[in-house]
Amino acid sequence: MTTHTSHTPTLVGGEWIHQDGDHTALMITKCHDCGSTWFPPREICSRCASGNVEQALTGDRGTAYASTVVRIGPAAFKPPYVLAYVDLDGTRLLAHVDTDEALAPNTPVELRVGAIGEDENGPLSSYVVAKVTEVTTPGDAR
Amino acid sequence: MRPVYVAGAAVHPFGKHLGVNAAELGYRAVRELLTTTGISPEQVDAGYGGSTYGGSLLAQRVLQRVGVSGPPVYTVENACASGASAVHLAWQAIAGGFADCVIAFGTENLSGFGGGTLPLTTNDIEISQGMVMTAAYAMRAQRYLHDFGATVDDLTRVSIKNRRNGALNPRAHFQKPISAEDVEQSRPVADPLRLLHCCPNSDGAAAVLLCSEEFAKQLTTPSIRMRASVVRSGDFHTSYRDMTWPDITARAAKAAYEMADIKPTDLDLVELHDAFSVAEFLHTEALGIADRGQAYKATARGEFDRDGRVAISPSGGLLSRGHPVGATGVIQICESYWQLTGEAGDLQVPGAEVALTHVTGGGIFGVDNGACSIHILTTT
Repeated sequence: MTTHTSHTPTLVGGEWIHQDGDHTALMITKCHDCGSTWFPPREICSRCASGNVEQALTGDRGTAYASTVVRIGPAAFKPPYVLAYVDLDGTRLLAHVDTDEALAPNTPVELRVGAIGEDENGPLSSYVVAKVTEVTTPGDAR
Repeated sequence: MRPVYVAGAAVHPFGKHLGVNAAELGYRAVRELLTTTGISPEQVDAGYGGSTYGGSLLAQRVLQRVGVSGPPVYTVENACASGASAVHLAWQAIAGGFADCVIAFGTENLSGFGGGTLPLTTNDIEISQGMVMTAAYAMRAQRYLHDFGATVDDLTRVSIKNRRNGALNPRAHFQKPISAEDVEQSRPVADPLRLLHCCPNSDGAAAVLLCSEEFAKQLTTPSIRMRASVVRSGDFHTSYRDMTWPDITARAAKAAYEMADIKPTDLDLVELHDAFSVAEFLHTEALGIADRGQAYKATARGEFDRDGRVAISPSGGLLSRGHPVGATGVIQICESYWQLTGEAGDLQVPGAEVALTHVTGGGIFGVDNGACSIHILTTT
C-alpha cells in the first residue's frame, strides 16, 4: 500500500473556478436551445441533449437558499462545518460557508476560494461563500 | 394489465444485527414467507431482491437457499427505493402476464459501516463538498420552517408520534416512545435537526409474495389487491428548485392515483418515507394529503395519528421502525398487508381498506431524490 505524503493543496472543482484579482467566478453552461443553465459545465445540455451550448462565467454575488451546520459528517471536512445552497446566476450550487453559523435564507453571499477540509493527501480548498460585508456598487458585479 | 395481488408478507425484525449479512437476513425473511404462504419453490416464476449495499447477485444468494434457482432472478438497486423497485418489477411481471407467482424482497445490513452518516456515491459534486443526507434534509427543514412558519417543535412532534406508533411494533428497531425533552436533549446532527429527528441506520429484511388472481385463489392466506405500482426518477437540473416541494413524490403520486382511480381522501393509512421528521411534512403535502405549507398543523392537531383523519406511518415509520435501506420499501408493503387483512394487532388502523406506501431514494446532486416508488393497496 502506498502512503501519500504530498501536502500540495487539492483545489476541489478547480477546473471550474476562475479567479481574476479579488473576484472569484465559476464556469457554467447555458443552453441556447432550451435555456437551461448548468453547473458544473458540460458538453451538451442535460435537459434537451443539444450541443448548442455556451460556456460562461458567473458573477461573484449570490443568495443563500438554505444552510446548515453539519455537526456529524465525514472527518475530511472537520465537523462542525457550514454548508449552503447558493443561488448564483441561474444555478444553485452547494458550497461551504466561511462562518460558524447557518446562513438565514436569502442572505446575500459572495464567492471566494477557501479551505474546506483536509484528506490523506493534504489540505482541501474549493469555491466557498461568505456573507457579503462591504457596501458594493452595481459596477462590481460582472 | 392483469390484476395483481399480495398474498403473503414476512419480515426479519429491524434493528442492529451486527455480523448477520444482508443475504442471511434476506434468506430468513424469504424462508418465513414460504412457510406462511405454504408455497413450494417450484411454484415461483421469478424473484427480485432490492439492496443498496448487499453486493452482486444478492437475489440469487438469497433465493437459491430456499430452492428458487433456475427461474429469472434479479438484484435491484435504487438507493432507498431499492426494495420498492423490486416489488414494482414483480408487479410488472404479474400484470404483464409473464408470471403468476413472484417473490420480491429487500434486505440490508448497515451495521457493518459503523456509526455516523451513510457513505454516498463518489464522484458527485455535492458529496465532494461534504454533503450528507442529514445536511440535505436539514436545509429542506430550515427552508420549510422559514417559508411556512413552522418551528423545530413541529419537527419534534413527528418524531414523538412515529416513535409512539413504533413502540407497539415488534418488528421496529426502536420500540420505546420518546418525549419532547428526549428530542431536545439528543445530539445536534445538522442544524436544525437533532439525532431523534433522524431515522437510525438499521439491519433487516422483508419479503412479499405477489401473484395473479388465479394463483391467489389457490392459497389459504388472505390476499389484498395492488392497485398501483409506480417508480419515477428525479428531474435532473441545476437551476433554482423549491426544496420544500418534492416534485418526484408529486409526479409518482399523480401516476399512482390515476392508475388506482383513488383520491388522497380515500386513504386510510400511509407508510411514508420519514427518513427525517421534516419529510412527513414535505411528502404528505406532495401526496395531496395536506395543503401546501399546512402539514405541520395537521400533525399538531393529531390528524396523522393512528386514529386520526389518515394514519401516517402507523407502524412507526423509518424514525421508529428503522431504515435498512433496501428493505424499507418492502416492509411498508408488509405492514400495509397486515393492516388491510386485519392482522396488524396493536398497530391496527380501525377499518383500514386503502393504504399507500411511499419511499424516496437517494443522494445525488441535481435531483430531489434519485428514485421514488409509490404503491396503493386495497382490501379488494
